[in-house]
Amino acid sequence: MLFCYVALLPVVALFFYVRIIPIGFSFLLSFYKWNLISPRRPFVGWDNYLGLMEDENFLLALKNTTIYSFSTVALATMIALPLAVFLSRKSRLSAFYQTVYFLPVITPMVPVAIAWKWIYDYNYGILNYGLSLVGLPSVPWLTDPDIALWALVIMGVWKVLGYNMVLFLVGIRNIPAEYLEAASIDGASDWQRFWRISFPLLRPILLYVIVTSTINAFNVFTQVYVMTLGSQSAPGQAVRMLVFDIYTNGFQFFRMGYASAEAVILTLIVLGLTVIQFSLARDDNVKAG
Amino acid sequence: MTRMLGRRGAMQAAAGAGVAALAGRGALAADVTLAVWTGYPELVPWYQAMAAEYGKAKGTKVTILSTSLREHEQKLAAAVPTGTGPDIFDVGQILGITFIEAGLVKPNPPAVEALLKGGAYRASSVGQFNTDGKTYGVPMLFSTPAMFWNKAFFKEAGIDGPPKTFQDKMVAAKKLTKFDATGKMTRSGMSLRLSGQGSGIAEKFRFILEPAGGTLIVPNGKGKFHQGYDNEAGRNALKYYVDAVQTDKVDDPKVQHDAAAFVAGNTAMLMREAWVIGEIKEKNPTLDYGVAPIPAWGTGPHKTLLQHNGLWVNAKSKNLDVAYDFQVFLCSKEASVKLTQMSGWVAARSDVDWSPLLKEIPQYKEFVSPDAGVQFYPEPVMAAWNEIESRLADKLPGAYIDPNMLDPAKLAAFIKAAAAQTDQILKQNDLYGL
Repeated sequence: MLFCYVALLPVVALFFYVRIIPIGFSFLLSFYKWNLISPRRPFVGWDNYLGLMEDENFLLALKNTTIYSFSTVALATMIALPLAVFLSRKSRLSAFYQTVYFLPVITPMVPVAIAWKWIYDYNYGILNYGLSLVGLPSVPWLTDPDIALWALVIMGVWKVLGYNMVLFLVGIRNIPAEYLEAASIDGASDWQRFWRISFPLLRPILLYVIVTSTINAFNVFTQVYVMTLGSQSAPGQAVRMLVFDIYTNGFQFFRMGYASAEAVILTLIVLGLTVIQFSLARDDNVKAG
Repeated sequence: MTRMLGRRGAMQAAAGAGVAALAGRGALAADVTLAVWTGYPELVPWYQAMAAEYGKAKGTKVTILSTSLREHEQKLAAAVPTGTGPDIFDVGQILGITFIEAGLVKPNPPAVEALLKGGAYRASSVGQFNTDGKTYGVPMLFSTPAMFWNKAFFKEAGIDGPPKTFQDKMVAAKKLTKFDATGKMTRSGMSLRLSGQGSGIAEKFRFILEPAGGTLIVPNGKGKFHQGYDNEAGRNALKYYVDAVQTDKVDDPKVQHDAAAFVAGNTAMLMREAWVIGEIKEKNPTLDYGVAPIPAWGTGPHKTLLQHNGLWVNAKSKNLDVAYDFQVFLCSKEASVKLTQMSGWVAARSDVDWSPLLKEIPQYKEFVSPDAGVQFYPEPVMAAWNEIESRLADKLPGAYIDPNMLDPAKLAAFIKAAAAQTDQILKQNDLYGL
């Protein structure tokens, strides 16, 4: 037993060094005013947090991130689940489609975001070209402030869909075949077998998918950064997200204390949502029990 | 006697030590490897060429690290205070002043001070590198915009030459804008900065605001500042943008913009810096274009922005003497000419003979030797400047396309709110004063 603890020690120490200490340092830093360069670091108490409550950029980022996260998580989950059910059936093309849907997950975000920037281009983008083929007018996907956020949602769903689908697929394949066979013998329809047997048994996977997708969605950054770069891009305010705002305050304006306070709030939001999701799942389990 | 011998001995020892030190310094210069970091990848060939020349003369090796400007600034902010930064770096004064305030850049030694104050630079350039009566760093290059205009499009539209005022520019732009049969803009009359994010949007807003008589911040003469655009000039500048997009329809956020649009022939006019010449040379060398001063506002003067990029020696460098020597070498006349020839950026020295360059590319004239009547407005040297511009830039793209801005009262309210935000940032940084 002692050996186990000793063997774990290097990993735990590394985890503390690269995770816990920086998080703790960020929390401490959120009570200071520091520009990263100056040796002066005056203590400002709760000023950074109070400032955030009146900061229209932070409030806008919070609103945009919430809309983005809930939309992306809801859509990516609702599309991935039926897709997984469909692909779980033994078919010759199943593996091919699984690969196709999973490809965006393993593609690095920067080239993907650049490619989507071209796809969304008003004049030369393939999306507007497709719309023109069916007689629809071109859409200013990135440059219209009312549409830009939804353009990011579409891309976000496309990126995580394959990951969610694979997780659901694993869950579906782990459901004992006897349950479904027994239900079939009892005359249950496909829908009844899914809704009464598969779906309840998939709840732990569903919870995992929702929790991880929510955390990832709240941390959205790279695509926002790429899609707002340059003159032919989305207006910064239309797609301002929390991590992007943290980056701007921390590494463009060098307001590290302020950015740290934002990071602490983001952590608390994600933590709170995770706790809510877990407690909802636990309530369901208790009721089911 | 003992005392005499002692003194003589001491003098001999001192002389010996001096020679040894000089010899040692020479040997050290040859052994030294200087690290140079740049935020301008297009300067790398020039740095390499200069490093090779310097190495040939002094034996010093130079390594050059280049990243994008934003990454470069972040790397410097993290590395210089922790003693892991380069010996020399280039960066704008906005960040430079932060390093100065933190004691991470020392006042210039006599040799660098002599270069700076010896008549090689404009007084405005020297002034920008002066903090509390001491000079820090050396201006390496400056960035100043002028107006690029497509000669073929002007000829086709029957317009004689580049507009001299912003009002004429709008009239010309209307003739130069093209639409397809469906009413979709295919060529903008002028390319303004209408979308994206970052301080550049506000910087381009200033291209019109300053000639119109406004300014983002006004010094009060006591080291403090307040906003200077909640006035007629600020409202006129915003109205100009709004009119360009919504009323006169000479530009549209949806069409291609910036240098890419000018190079590709998708816009007729663009206000930009000298590096666009390099872009044209590389991507569309047959483009028939001219470069004119930024238009005036009505009968006002021609005004244009003057931004310096400095060359700084890290106070924590272990090779300070060699670093300062290389800094001076990089700012020599010969190096300055090569900098412009090789990168397209304009070297900051004003005592350079530009005639060979102008003979080859006459469009450089507005950048290297602008007309005497052109007034320069420098970028304020303060750490909060980036935030002031960026926060205004956050608001502007939405306003340019907002139909409410056609209502003068709503436009005035927008400017008032934006200006109040500028004052707020100044207050947060203890820089506000009337």
